[in-house]
Amino acid sequence: MKSGRTALLSTFIVGAGQIYAGRLWTGIAFAAIFYGSIALMVIIWTGINQAFWGLLAAWVLIWLYNILDAHKGFRYQKPPCEKICPAGIMPWAYINHLATDSEERYPYVPFFDTLGRICLAPCESHCTRRGIDAPVAIRYLRAGVKTILPVHRHKPKKKKVAIVGAGPCGLSAAYYLSHRGYRVTVYEREEKPGGVLGILIPEFRHPQAVLDQEIETLMTLKFELKCGVEIGKDVSIEELLRDYDAVFVATGVWKPIKLGIHGEENALDGFDVLRRIKKGELYHLGKVGIIGGGNTAIDIARSLIREGHQVAIYYRRNIEDMPAEHENLEEAKEEGVEIIPLVVPVKIEKHKITLLRTECAEGRKGQVKKIEGSEFEVKLDTVVMAIGQHPETDFLKDLVKFDKNRHIKTKNGKTSHQKIFAGGDVVLGSATIAHAVGHGMNAARRIDAHLRGLPIFLVTLFRKTYSPKVRLLPLTETPRITIPHRDIEERKGDFKEVELWAKREELMNEAARCLACPLRYHPH
Amino acid sequence: MKLKRTVQIIATIIQNSYIPAFFAGGIYQGVLKRACTPILNCWGCPLAWYSCPMGGLQHFIGLRLFPFYVAGLFGTVGMVVGRMTCGWICPFGFFQDLLYKIKSFKMKLPKVFSYFKYVVLVGVAGVIAYITAEPWFCKLCPDGALIAGIPLVLADTTGDLRALVGWHYYMKIAILLGIILFSISIKRFFCRTFCPVGAIYSIFNRFSVWRLKVDKDKCIACESCQMVCPMHVGIYRHQHDIDCIRCLDCVKICPTKAIKHEVR
Repeated sequence: MKSGRTALLSTFIVGAGQIYAGRLWTGIAFAAIFYGSIALMVIIWTGINQAFWGLLAAWVLIWLYNILDAHKGFRYQKPPCEKICPAGIMPWAYINHLATDSEERYPYVPFFDTLGRICLAPCESHCTRRGIDAPVAIRYLRAGVKTILPVHRHKPKKKKVAIVGAGPCGLSAAYYLSHRGYRVTVYEREEKPGGVLGILIPEFRHPQAVLDQEIETLMTLKFELKCGVEIGKDVSIEELLRDYDAVFVATGVWKPIKLGIHGEENALDGFDVLRRIKKGELYHLGKVGIIGGGNTAIDIARSLIREGHQVAIYYRRNIEDMPAEHENLEEAKEEGVEIIPLVVPVKIEKHKITLLRTECAEGRKGQVKKIEGSEFEVKLDTVVMAIGQHPETDFLKDLVKFDKNRHIKTKNGKTSHQKIFAGGDVVLGSATIAHAVGHGMNAARRIDAHLRGLPIFLVTLFRKTYSPKVRLLPLTETPRITIPHRDIEERKGDFKEVELWAKREELMNEAARCLACPLRYHPH
Repeated sequence: MKLKRTVQIIATIIQNSYIPAFFAGGIYQGVLKRACTPILNCWGCPLAWYSCPMGGLQHFIGLRLFPFYVAGLFGTVGMVVGRMTCGWICPFGFFQDLLYKIKSFKMKLPKVFSYFKYVVLVGVAGVIAYITAEPWFCKLCPDGALIAGIPLVLADTTGDLRALVGWHYYMKIAILLGIILFSISIKRFFCRTFCPVGAIYSIFNRFSVWRLKVDKDKCIACESCQMVCPMHVGIYRHQHDIDCIRCLDCVKICPTKAIKHEVR
């Protein structure tokens, strides 16, 4: 492997590794500083004295620094899009490859295609280009990007890791750990892997084919996948702790939150509805009201509209503050989903719901105040609750520390138990796929460090950086791409994907809009 | 080439261009040496025309006199343009800018280090210089080692200077090597952490007549200014940051044109 050899080369000849890796001037600079200073001291040598040891220390420091540099490689400063990405993706790098039509491929990230479809895209809301006109369509652009699995695999190790939950988080961790050579076993409660992607997220947002493709790619790493095994019922956590060197818990959140209002048992659970729709169990709900403002609520609404129901969403804050993905919300509105903001339910009866108006300041953190005496009734056939979930962590008993909602308390992926690690929604509460992937990878790094007996800072220090070959393009005036969607009436009839693919030229034009902040704003 | 680079090169040449040194050896000791350049530039350099204000300051302190001349220079320049001279005419700053261009792995410096330069100013260039009556900052200064120490000793034909090389010279080279090494991965490491001239000018950043202004309404907090800044200052957060050297790169690069310079 190239980077291993560069560090070795630099150990013997200062600067050689950098030149070998293609960084000519860096190598020359390091060699000049090191050998130049030695030559200077040889010329003016007047014998050893106290300060010679300081000089020696400086030389050793340069030598060590040079090895570390050869190992890590150059990396640009992080632009906002990379800083904000929970999954640790470098959008500017793959966008630059696309814009320059480069042969270079972006290194594989688990669930890359999935993230391109259903990410909240915080990168777009932090894009520097939004200061000029509109942000680059970072999420959409991955359509033109091909990732590549790293060729180099680490030597197989004897240590075993068990992962509980084959969702995005668990599978990301499984990918990283099996790539590092550990023997990984993933336990999944359901029949198929994929977690929320396989069970809940509707077909028109995330086709099953994408998930199948992703699982196929992941399975090339040859980790063991045991579906239909529930921890705590079929296998106990003690058995796992006995048989494995580390256990990673990424079970997600599945237990619906109860509001504690009158007649709540008359309402349906949101996850249950989504699951049954995805299975194809059509059933007649009549006029439906959905309580909640997240992606779950919107997904249920859009799915039910496709089955010919009349749907309304009731949310307690303003529409702008809904935690749902912006584009999902827009598409839902286009399809005719009615959204009624600033209301909370107080009483649910059969075929009737009583709501109360609220007032609240803008922003997701403002307190919601109920306006007393503003009750009104709406006639509905069914009420669906989609207000969030708590994790089911009872199988862990009291082995680790929890917070009051039974979320596991962690510190960089590590729980209070020596061998148990946790990540994803079970720690964060309902979050995004990007968070799950990022958490999975981070926790996997943590597990790797733990199993090798190294402190985490050493692992981070010696982490190789991906330094893409990038080229600065001139600033373009092109406006932001309008993402093509299927015709509204047509897409309301079926469950096929709503977003369409643009031509490669259009994608390249859009990619050329990227400012490539790290290059443009590097101090020259 | 950028205007800043051109000015930096020209300023370096103007300050260090005593060509006769190549033939005659020794350092310039004419009438111009009585003038201070408003920035750190060793007067021991064989090519230097002007004297170093830090050297002058310590010289007066060593003589137990108040340095009216140097204080007046710092006050005048600082009140008008703040720390601008660091960004535009400092040869050692220019050297560090070039070092940062090397494609090595990069690190960030915590903000606390910015205040260490006051310790250097008061402790080394003030108290220690007063007690020992010797310019102790000059004895440690990496700029002195780079442009005065190395060329003088290498070009020494008589052997008088080489005989003087001892532990002190070794230490100076070691400090220089450390500063160079860290300047490769940290933006202007010496300027931000140690430079006492910068420490004096940075006091005036808040009060200077000519200064930067950020329009908070236009700012989108994209941090382009911080990325492009040779001192890694987040000017959008701290308008009068002590490390701002008024190089105006951020003014040029800001995507929303939120950063402007103004005369009070």
